[in-house]
Amino acid sequence: MLKPLQEEFVNNHTQIIVVNRECKILETTNTLFSVNKDAFLSSFHPFFYSIPSLFEEDKEECYFHCIHMDVLGKKCFYDMRIRIDAQKENATLFILDLTDHYKGVHGIKQTRNESIIDFNISQELNNELQLQRGFKNKFLANVSHEIRTPLNSIVGFINVLQNTALDREQLDLVNIVKSSCNNLSSIVDDLLDISKIEAGRLEIKNKRFDFRALLNELSAAYRLQSEEKRLEFIVEIGENIPRFLVLDRLRINQVLINLLDNAVKYSHEGTITFRITTTSRNLRKIPLTFEVIDEGIGIAPENLDSVFESFNQIEKRGLFGGTGLGLSIVKQLAQLMEGSIEVSSVKNQGSIFRFSVEAGVSHDQKAKKEPKAPKKEIKSGDTSRKRILLGEDVEVNQLLMLKLFANHGNYSLDIAKNGEQVLRFLDNYKVDLVLMDLTMPIMDGYDAAARIRNHPDKRISKLPIIALTARVSEEDREECKAVGMNAYLTKPLDEVLLFQTIEKLLNKYKRKKDLS
Amino acid sequence: MSVSKKVVLLGHFGVGKSSLLRRFVENTFSDNYVVTIGVHIMKKEVVINNENVTLIIWDVEGTDDFTKYRPSYLMGASSFIYVFDAARKVTYSDLKYNLDHLNEKYPHVPVHIIGNKVDLVDAEELEINLEEQNVKADYLSSAKTGENVEQLFTDVAAQLLKNA
Repeated sequence: MLKPLQEEFVNNHTQIIVVNRECKILETTNTLFSVNKDAFLSSFHPFFYSIPSLFEEDKEECYFHCIHMDVLGKKCFYDMRIRIDAQKENATLFILDLTDHYKGVHGIKQTRNESIIDFNISQELNNELQLQRGFKNKFLANVSHEIRTPLNSIVGFINVLQNTALDREQLDLVNIVKSSCNNLSSIVDDLLDISKIEAGRLEIKNKRFDFRALLNELSAAYRLQSEEKRLEFIVEIGENIPRFLVLDRLRINQVLINLLDNAVKYSHEGTITFRITTTSRNLRKIPLTFEVIDEGIGIAPENLDSVFESFNQIEKRGLFGGTGLGLSIVKQLAQLMEGSIEVSSVKNQGSIFRFSVEAGVSHDQKAKKEPKAPKKEIKSGDTSRKRILLGEDVEVNQLLMLKLFANHGNYSLDIAKNGEQVLRFLDNYKVDLVLMDLTMPIMDGYDAAARIRNHPDKRISKLPIIALTARVSEEDREECKAVGMNAYLTKPLDEVLLFQTIEKLLNKYKRKKDLS
Repeated sequence: MSVSKKVVLLGHFGVGKSSLLRRFVENTFSDNYVVTIGVHIMKKEVVINNENVTLIIWDVEGTDDFTKYRPSYLMGASSFIYVFDAARKVTYSDLKYNLDHLNEKYPHVPVHIIGNKVDLVDAEELEINLEEQNVKADYLSSAKTGENVEQLFTDVAAQLLKNA
């Protein structure tokens, strides 16, 4: 009974061949393929060229899996067990036909390998894209910084110019230049934000703040702007909106400014409604919805989907003019805050931008007492001029600072061109405070500040240092703190803030000195 | 007099080992990727300075881990040809690791390193990538265009003849 089965499943799928050391066929069953006795097996298939070398190996038996052979035009896969008889100087080959089995394996491996190769290729393309994106972000950040530096000087000098004796026409012209500079400055800020968001370097920092105060500030500013265009501006703040929320004030403000700016910009008549609502009275977290509704030019249906797309596409479409970065930033900021932004619009009838975000509700809804304002003047009796040292390499910035200090008789200003000169000056002259630019040749501001803090002379090591820079990133601010700088002011410098900060630090420094 | 030598093509799957072999032996090429399972063996006779060398070329199933190669496939080899895909970094990022394994197990077998599919990559970019990975290819080839394929096998044969 077993004989026919053995015939079908064993004998028909195996072949035994005996060859001598030179691979000459001594015996063969010829069940799988036909070879002639006394012929050389190596002439049937190149695999058999390896038989003679097996006699050199110190092995009695070798097993070869999955040898691919074409037999009479048919693709076959064989496993081979080869037994070496060194004494008789012959080899016995047991050939097992596993074609059906290996064909199944082939299909599985084909699919597996193809998907792995596709994955590898897409991964490499992705890496390349990341590299290109990194380059783009670095480029944007560098270009923004390079533009900001001369822009700061222009804004600074315009401020100085505004305070000189100008006639009406000159003042109007200066105001136009200032307004253009402010526009350019916000474009540069947008570029920096885009590069930061795309590089994943923009962090959302939720803190408690007076939300109602922010809404009041925004309402006042945009009511004024709306009135200038003869638009009606309506603010609707839900009754259950708490006063103090835990959110990123800076970024919420940025989103709302962008939406309100657009509403005013693209409306020529009618009403702008700024609505803030929540559906919850939860004491810990509430969903906030901001709606900016205008009756302006609206957006065509075919453009609605791409309104928030990256600035490249918006720029091509030219829908909003300018750079069109605003809404792209808004969308990305909304996502970073785990919120959402959507738009509905009818061409020539107006748009509704709806921004939703979850806000933490501060458990403390009472306003804290305002801290006492710092004394305006340095202690009475202290009438000597305070000596300020400025570390700054750019001549135009040096000139601007000289102009600003010329209006403040309480101070004298000395200038060093780099960190090394700052240190040398401090060793030779008594100084009350250092204003330090961060990017300087030979020795930068960070290095100079660190060396001041490590100076053996306490008179120098305890000096107040204010960083002045066009760099606006959080990392730069942190780095300034780390090297021991006391304050950080960004360019273009706000004259009032600059002198307030100087005064505050001098008072603090003097108090400490008096105590010690 | 003709000598026959076993040469083994090694490397990750999909790097073009079978295509190199077909280009060399049959002078054909197909863009379709057909996976090799087990081993596919072909031979070709090469004439070097009037001497014949029969290359018995074992095209072994690709793997990214050479320690998984069946010793029976590599046994008795006179030369290894390590093929990587110039367009896929992953196929040469572990080259040093795999070479170390070959050198340890088969210290007397020379290894030729081949970057295939150069028709798919920018030459300058490839140079930078190889430098980054500290990979020095003996040949940059393309089974598709035939670039350096004949040269590679002829040089391998010449070296085998010299060492014979």
